[in-house]
Amino acid sequence: MPSADGSPFAPSETRAGTAPVRQWPDAGSSRIPNWVYTDPELFAREQQRIFAGESWLYVCLEAELAQPGAFKRARLGAKEVVAVRDAAGAIGVLVNRCAHRSAQFCSAARGLVQEFVCPYHQWTYDLGGKLIGVPFRRGFRGQGGMPEDFHLGEHGLESLAVTCRHGVVFASFSNATEPFADYLGGTMLGYFDRVFDGRELVVLGYLRQRIPSNWKLMFENIKDPYHASLLHVFLVTFGLFRLDQQSSIEMDPTGRHAVLVSSKGEQRENDATRQMRAFKSNFALNDPRLLDPVREFPGAATVVMQTLWPNLIVQQQSNTLATRQIVPIDAGRFDLAWTFFGYADDTPEMRQRRLRQANLMGPAGLVSLDDSEAMLLSQAGIGGDEEALCVAEMGGRAVRDEPHMVTETAIRGFYRYYRRVMEL
Amino acid sequence: MIAAPGLDASPALRMRLADLYCAYADALDEGELERWPEFFTANCLYRVVPRENFEQGMPIALIYCESRGMLIDRVTAIRETALYVPRMLRHLVSNIRLRGVDADGMRLTASFALLQTMVDRPSELFLCGQYRDRVVEEGGQLCFAERICVYDSTIVPTSLVFPV
Repeated sequence: MPSADGSPFAPSETRAGTAPVRQWPDAGSSRIPNWVYTDPELFAREQQRIFAGESWLYVCLEAELAQPGAFKRARLGAKEVVAVRDAAGAIGVLVNRCAHRSAQFCSAARGLVQEFVCPYHQWTYDLGGKLIGVPFRRGFRGQGGMPEDFHLGEHGLESLAVTCRHGVVFASFSNATEPFADYLGGTMLGYFDRVFDGRELVVLGYLRQRIPSNWKLMFENIKDPYHASLLHVFLVTFGLFRLDQQSSIEMDPTGRHAVLVSSKGEQRENDATRQMRAFKSNFALNDPRLLDPVREFPGAATVVMQTLWPNLIVQQQSNTLATRQIVPIDAGRFDLAWTFFGYADDTPEMRQRRLRQANLMGPAGLVSLDDSEAMLLSQAGIGGDEEALCVAEMGGRAVRDEPHMVTETAIRGFYRYYRRVMEL
Repeated sequence: MIAAPGLDASPALRMRLADLYCAYADALDEGELERWPEFFTANCLYRVVPRENFEQGMPIALIYCESRGMLIDRVTAIRETALYVPRMLRHLVSNIRLRGVDADGMRLTASFALLQTMVDRPSELFLCGQYRDRVVEEGGQLCFAERICVYDSTIVPTSLVFPV
């Protein structure tokens, strides 16, 4: 039977929503098949189930949308959106696709507008995404125009569910996503509120890089404290993050979110550093201002790296604070978008400290450079054999919080939840 | 190189400035990282920033060094602590322009393009942008008191390992 638009074909089921495309090799999550990093069909399924599913996706900071009409473009998974503050001060997140012919109506990265006008046929939307103008809607001299039963109210921009907490904006393509506090769980919310404590935030700048690896490897990297003591010679040498320090790894009950918590040690040789080929006890800085951390958060922790499903890393390494947004491009590439911030009440000295310590982070970071290069190597190796298995069994095969760093438990937690959402 | 209208730059000065820019790129392209800090004053400012931040007055930089000592520390870190896949970076510098002279030195701008070559991969354009410099004379040598490298793209391909 022909459908309403006259097409002889009935709408088909999307492939990504139906049967799983692959079979996970066992019942656990400690052996990860390489095809999770390469399969384009699985990538499409991730977009639908994870990014367009019941997830709170990090969009931006409220400080980036300071006044009514301020907007910022972002990419949530494969979809382009525009975050905007409306006339009443509320934040909305709109899909960047005109309801008419699907053109991207917004091409500036950020700016200030009174309404959105699609440049193609000048369909005009208010800041809430409501369609308010269609040129020649009634035709011209009695000719043309839209059909009588075309209603502006039925053709607004697609709008996402939005939640804000302490200056951070999240959006969801699903209206069934649980409230944000429940989504994080008590432990994760506590760590989130530690950095986002309600003080006014100030954006210090952006860095962005394109990494030739699957997006999940970025999460795995931050969920894996085992590598940090071995790969990051700079961190290890200056005692900023080391396996022998007081530390823990904690998760929410589902395993989808995690934190790595650590306390700064000293640049001193001991039993543990002797196992780290990395450790260099004779490396002293010419200009020690680069590392002049000051304690600014309650408690003993000097590093808290939080991974929030499915697209956010919250970085607190000494005094450098950033959100890192993961933007998947395809199975083999993602963008990492860093937004560095401080607080409105920072002293000039603290502001300067944050800028100096940012040398450790970003695409040229003395620490994070190692990670982007390691991910490049991982994907290169993975591409060679999609049936091979990665082993994530440091600290056993179980998923549980641990008071140490010699573990890959949070990677297992991530894949336990991933399997559930993906029905793999 | 050229000078802005109204600026009197002798052929000898132009030659010395051109030599400075050429020698800087040459040291980096030859992999002589240890020579890189020698092109700067002791209290130099060296920053690599995306145009996005630069235009909005946002201070975060890809690399942010406030002294020659910090430049030396970065070289040591690249040599001793960083993991990176082997690559080479070639600096093409053009359109060197003297824009002003005042008590703080000479203000210049120049265009740069960085070409990256990884093992087993074709060469690619890695970054392009503009140097915004302040050049002074110290001990008979011209050197950079300030070098702000503003790159045009928002996205860096994987990692920046070597200086711009």
